[in-house]
Amino acid sequence: MKTKFSGILTLILALVVQISFAQTKTITGVVTDDTGLPLPGATVLIKGTTNGTQTGFDGDYSISAAEGQTLTFSYVGFETKELLVTSGASTYNVQMAAGATLETVVITGYGNSNRDVLTSAVSLVTAEELEELVSTTSVDNLLQGKASGVAVTAANGKPGATAFVRIRGTGSLVAGASSPLYIVDGAPLDEADLNAIPSSEIETIAILKDAATTSQYGSRGANGVVVITTKKGKKNKDATVRFSSRYGVSKRANDDIQIMNAQEKLRYELELSQLTLPDGCVGCFLPSASGLPGATSTPEERAFLIANQVSWEDEILRDAIIQSNSFSVSGGEEKVDYFFSLNHDRNTGIIAQVNGFERLNGRLNVNFDAKPWLDMGASVAYSRSVSDEPRDRNNVQNPFRAIYQNNSYTPVFQLDENGDVTFDENGDPVYQTDGLQFGFNTVNALITIPEITVQNLTFFNSYANVKFSDRWNYRLQYSLNHENFRREVYNQPGSTLEDIIGDPDFPGTKTDNGFQTIDYTLSNTINYTLAGENGHNFNSYGLFEYNFRETNSYTVSSRGFPSTLLSTQVNAAEQTNGSTGRSRLTLVSYGAFANYDYKQKYILAASGRYDGSSNFGADNQFGFFYSGSAAWNVAKEDFFAVDWIEDLKIRGSYGTVGNRGALGNYASQGTVVFGQYPGGSSTIPANIANPELQWEEAEILDIGIELGLFNNRVTAVVDYFKKTTNKLLFDVPTPDESGIPGFSINSNLGTIENSGVEVELNADIIRNADFKWSVGGNFAILDNEIIELPDNDNDGVGDDIEPFSFATIFREGEEINAFFLLRYDGVDPATGRPLYLDAEGNSVFFTDLPEGENRVLLDKSPNANIQGGFFSNINYKGFGLRTDFVYKFGNYIYNLVRSDVINDGLTPSSNQDVRAFNYWKQPGDTNVLPSPLYANEAQQGSDRFLEKGDYVRLRNVTLSYTFDKDFLARTPFNSIRVYAQGQNLLTFSDFFGDPEVGISSGETISQAGAVAPGEATLYSYPTLRSFSFGIDVSL
Amino acid sequence: MKNIIYKSILFLFVAGMFTSCQDELDQVPFDSFGTQFAFTTAADFENAIRGVYSGLNRGSYYGGTYLANPDVLSDNVTFSQSGRGTKRATHNWTYVAADNFGHYADGYTVIYRANQVLSFIDDFEGSNKANITGEALALRALAHFDIVRFYGKIPTQAGDANGSLGIVYRTEPDPTAQDPRLTVAEVYQNIVADLEAARTMISTSNDPGRMNRDAVNLILSRAYLYMGEWQNAADAAARVTEPVAARSSVVGVWEDANQDGLIFYIPNTTQVLNNNIGVQWSQGPVTQLIAEYVASYELDQLYVADNDIRKEAYIVDATSTLGNPINAIKKLLGRGNFNGLVDIKILRAAEARLNRAEALNNLGQDGPALVALNEVRSNRYMTQPSDGEAGGALTAAIRLERRLEFAFEYQRWFDIKRYGDPVTRANFGDQEGGAGTPSDALTLEAGNFRFQLPIAQSSIIVNPNLQQNPGY
Repeated sequence: MKTKFSGILTLILALVVQISFAQTKTITGVVTDDTGLPLPGATVLIKGTTNGTQTGFDGDYSISAAEGQTLTFSYVGFETKELLVTSGASTYNVQMAAGATLETVVITGYGNSNRDVLTSAVSLVTAEELEELVSTTSVDNLLQGKASGVAVTAANGKPGATAFVRIRGTGSLVAGASSPLYIVDGAPLDEADLNAIPSSEIETIAILKDAATTSQYGSRGANGVVVITTKKGKKNKDATVRFSSRYGVSKRANDDIQIMNAQEKLRYELELSQLTLPDGCVGCFLPSASGLPGATSTPEERAFLIANQVSWEDEILRDAIIQSNSFSVSGGEEKVDYFFSLNHDRNTGIIAQVNGFERLNGRLNVNFDAKPWLDMGASVAYSRSVSDEPRDRNNVQNPFRAIYQNNSYTPVFQLDENGDVTFDENGDPVYQTDGLQFGFNTVNALITIPEITVQNLTFFNSYANVKFSDRWNYRLQYSLNHENFRREVYNQPGSTLEDIIGDPDFPGTKTDNGFQTIDYTLSNTINYTLAGENGHNFNSYGLFEYNFRETNSYTVSSRGFPSTLLSTQVNAAEQTNGSTGRSRLTLVSYGAFANYDYKQKYILAASGRYDGSSNFGADNQFGFFYSGSAAWNVAKEDFFAVDWIEDLKIRGSYGTVGNRGALGNYASQGTVVFGQYPGGSSTIPANIANPELQWEEAEILDIGIELGLFNNRVTAVVDYFKKTTNKLLFDVPTPDESGIPGFSINSNLGTIENSGVEVELNADIIRNADFKWSVGGNFAILDNEIIELPDNDNDGVGDDIEPFSFATIFREGEEINAFFLLRYDGVDPATGRPLYLDAEGNSVFFTDLPEGENRVLLDKSPNANIQGGFFSNINYKGFGLRTDFVYKFGNYIYNLVRSDVINDGLTPSSNQDVRAFNYWKQPGDTNVLPSPLYANEAQQGSDRFLEKGDYVRLRNVTLSYTFDKDFLARTPFNSIRVYAQGQNLLTFSDFFGDPEVGISSGETISQAGAVAPGEATLYSYPTLRSFSFGIDVSL
Repeated sequence: MKNIIYKSILFLFVAGMFTSCQDELDQVPFDSFGTQFAFTTAADFENAIRGVYSGLNRGSYYGGTYLANPDVLSDNVTFSQSGRGTKRATHNWTYVAADNFGHYADGYTVIYRANQVLSFIDDFEGSNKANITGEALALRALAHFDIVRFYGKIPTQAGDANGSLGIVYRTEPDPTAQDPRLTVAEVYQNIVADLEAARTMISTSNDPGRMNRDAVNLILSRAYLYMGEWQNAADAAARVTEPVAARSSVVGVWEDANQDGLIFYIPNTTQVLNNNIGVQWSQGPVTQLIAEYVASYELDQLYVADNDIRKEAYIVDATSTLGNPINAIKKLLGRGNFNGLVDIKILRAAEARLNRAEALNNLGQDGPALVALNEVRSNRYMTQPSDGEAGGALTAAIRLERRLEFAFEYQRWFDIKRYGDPVTRANFGDQEGGAGTPSDALTLEAGNFRFQLPIAQSSIIVNPNLQQNPGY
């Protein structure tokens, strides 16, 4: 440090001596930003020297300069301004102009690059934007509609639910393998754990889409990489204290269902019970309604039922309360910067008796310059979330199904003949069981069968940068995530489920399970930079990295609890199950990367990465991934003289990236496990060996144009991409006659292709001091196709595969997850019998369908063809109005909920929607539902329940007011912003129900197991609509 | 300069630490065990054969729906309004190729495990080699037998049965082979070949939960009976030594109080297996039973009250959740008549006598046939309602006895099928005394293609060499 200082001093002295004959004077002034507000912390330098200063709190500066010298004024996000010092005035006020968005610094994890010299497609979401968006408990939901080509579908509406994020289409056919790689401050994070990071801790989210940038993550970047960087302080900046608070209310978004009340349902039951079979009818059955109250009750009994009816929805659901508070301090000294934050989030969810989601976070990020040649940093964060879980099943245990299935005339509590609630000997009300499916009372179950999950995550990240010289640099980084997860499900003694299937000698059952996962990454990079004269800039670095992941799990179950208050298993009479498990996965990587640019006009980049993963076959562990890209900044050319085009960059990239998907940690090895059988242990085959198992590889070609027009008031990015995934990791199904576990073998076979065009557009329509209006949006057209599937029967065409989903199939030449169904052809007006189309297209009755396969591909899939979002942001003198829309077109959803609530009399004991009345009654009826006499045939799987999932949704509306800075100058506050916000207020869609569908039913297909998200809807936690208001204060 | 040297040394030192990371790529699982190590010692093979047996406990096999479907498909049960409506399409014979019964996949799982044991045991020398080989062959044959009698015709069912579509017969543990279906005759020949080889190798007695020589002979007699090879059937049945359970033990057999007359059963306790197989028929206590199916009124009336001990052992008076009195099925209710946890009884000595009686009757040897029949009848009735039948009357008596003895015990459908008879359900309801709602469908005429279950569409997609059964 001493040397540098003396160097500067010498230089200044020299300058002073050299130009001592010129006039030096003190120059002062105020630097303001493009809106006229003072800009603190801007750098004022004397060009050609290192002599400078920074503007103060009011944007004021004072510097000694001589005539003839040039002052440069610079600040991140603004164009650098230069000013020649002349004789005469000594006050120079400078107004900075906003820099092009293209000039922002893009943080890509391994290195930060100025966007000007980026050769690839990156979408960026900044902290400012995150603040303006509606806060959800999981960060990935915030990305919806924000970046072109990035499709985000919330798994469901549950507080704490994460989302399915698909970047540039679906890259894999295996469940869980199409997710992008999430990196938080250098360490990988599971998609399921994204709900541990509050959005207020995030500085930027960079979404890397093509091979050139994802190549740095080569081995796991086939589906894109989402790089999340948390906030840092700024050196030499006074501490800023920020406090935010919000409070809101949430309800279920409208779902179009009008469930019958008691009168209507009783009338429906009576109607069904009075139906008769016409002579000689085929395939007809009487609906089983003759034993239902609508058919059997006397007028007095009817009146009693109607008088005491309940709305199960009102009993089970309630309004949710959302609360969020955060506190942060950030700032820096000369050699240190720090960021500290605390957060608390709470969302009670809309189910009564279930407490919802609550999370507590803390974080500290510190960076310091330890020595002139060594700078270091460390960050530590902790997250603890507790979630009270509802049962996401496809039966009455699921509250969202119970509200539609239970009849309005069935009361929640048992009533006596006067209609009053009956009480038991303890004075507790007795819950109704008669008339409920299995005698299961959901309201009782919500109280007596609690389930909670507790998730603790610790994030630790540290790095050291060693500067050998101006050109050589070495960086050592160590990042670690540790997760401790626990679930407890307690089926209390005396609960609804106990009465049905419990053992009276051992009342109550409990299961505790959980796991601990540690995931750490150690990476070494050595960097060489050559900022040459003549405008040649060259940068290259070599990488060696090691990633280790270990999970330890346990589960324990017991039964026989003496009291509902005792919930730990130490008091249980008998332990019924207990086991532990452990699993590891490792990754070793070597990489080399190089970037070159000439005067920032011509840019070239190349990379190569060699990765080995422990779960592949012993001879195939390593894969080599490379990329090459180039860009041409046309606008920087001397010959380019179009005035209104500020920036024009043409870029292209091509490369390969790898994916090991959701492959098991020991997938290539042949293994057995041991079970129990009378007499001892039993050997059970677990996995069939495949030593050929290797990396899945994606080839990504990307061509793009970036434009900045009219002084960068309009910016646009257009990309065309084609992503071909080869050696797809696949559970290749084997014949049933093989009898092997899972009837499949992990293999690499098959090719799929995703291609499309992405457009991002932003425009500042009005940009004045007082009034600003900017709009923007993105738009992507996506197409995908299965190019090749394994051909086991050697007929020259790949074989079809039916994955574990409701009605989709993988077939060569077709879209991924194409729907494969029988075609429905309406109701026969003469008999009320449903008609179907056979393979040839003839309209026949169900029993007359010919032998063989009558299901066809319908050219429909759960994949959207066009999706994106758009926003409008208006600011007038401190008032702000922001609206965000998201939209999706071209996808189809199988509406299982509709087939339940309008089920044509298949199960008349369940409650129905009022539309169920519109069934065929006599010959000649058209535009009706099938006759209940043919309920069995009408409810077969077919495209009758396949609906368009197109929608446009007003995702976010925020009305805010930011107090004037002058007004606040008298107060200790730096800024105060108050706002009111609404989420999901308007939806335009033809879908019967809410069109945003992620998982169908948590227990039928979990999020990790969902091959085709959005393929069917089945009573999973619904989307919520909310209103909230809040305040952001900083001082 | 010194600075740079120091820093380079530091860098090299740090970098040097990491070259050993490459070894970390060789990870061996913690929660499972390499297949190549699992079949070397005698103890390994004992574990391995137990692994094959545990396949019988699968959810679409003897641990689940296989226990119920043969009766659900026939006239022994009536659909109950108080249940969850399971197996309704099966009961009404409205199943289609899109349905997947699971008996197919579960059977082949057992076959794979048996073939795996057989492929490893070749190189093994040990005292239990013969017994294990015998058990593996027997299990392989049993699983194939259980699959083919559902999905293919039974040889005595119709004239064209022997040449009609059977199933794939697997003798190698091959994960990817796409074999075509053999004819019924070929399948039965393979089954019999495996069983004949097994019966000399398997021990005369093995631990509970495992088969013994009696079991192999019993299955052999059943296979020959289905094939119409009457003499072989009678001879095989004669080799079964286990005595028929005495009348006084019958009720206790089904409450697991004793194991009289059981040749092959799988013990089922909360500690080991813990499989509530009773769920197939009902759930809950007899005072508020959620019954899926109840004994059909017609069957209930066939048992001679206060005389035939089986009425008390197999059927119980219960009240459904709808409040109606019903004839609930008692066989799998549980040891305390509650939660459905009972031993899984697969082969019983009584069947050997009935197989022998039927075979001898078909050969015209009515005398010895009657002796075999009476061995069963004398242990079931206090006073036999009839005796001394011959000819057609004896045939009817044998068939009746078989139906009464093996009601709710995975036999009825196959018996109706191999006799070439139709299924005729009487038009009585699901409540005691015949009141209530009858089943939706009451008749399946003889020769209907639905006597063979459809091969699941999903199975054909993966093995296009499979042919679907006609009619689907």
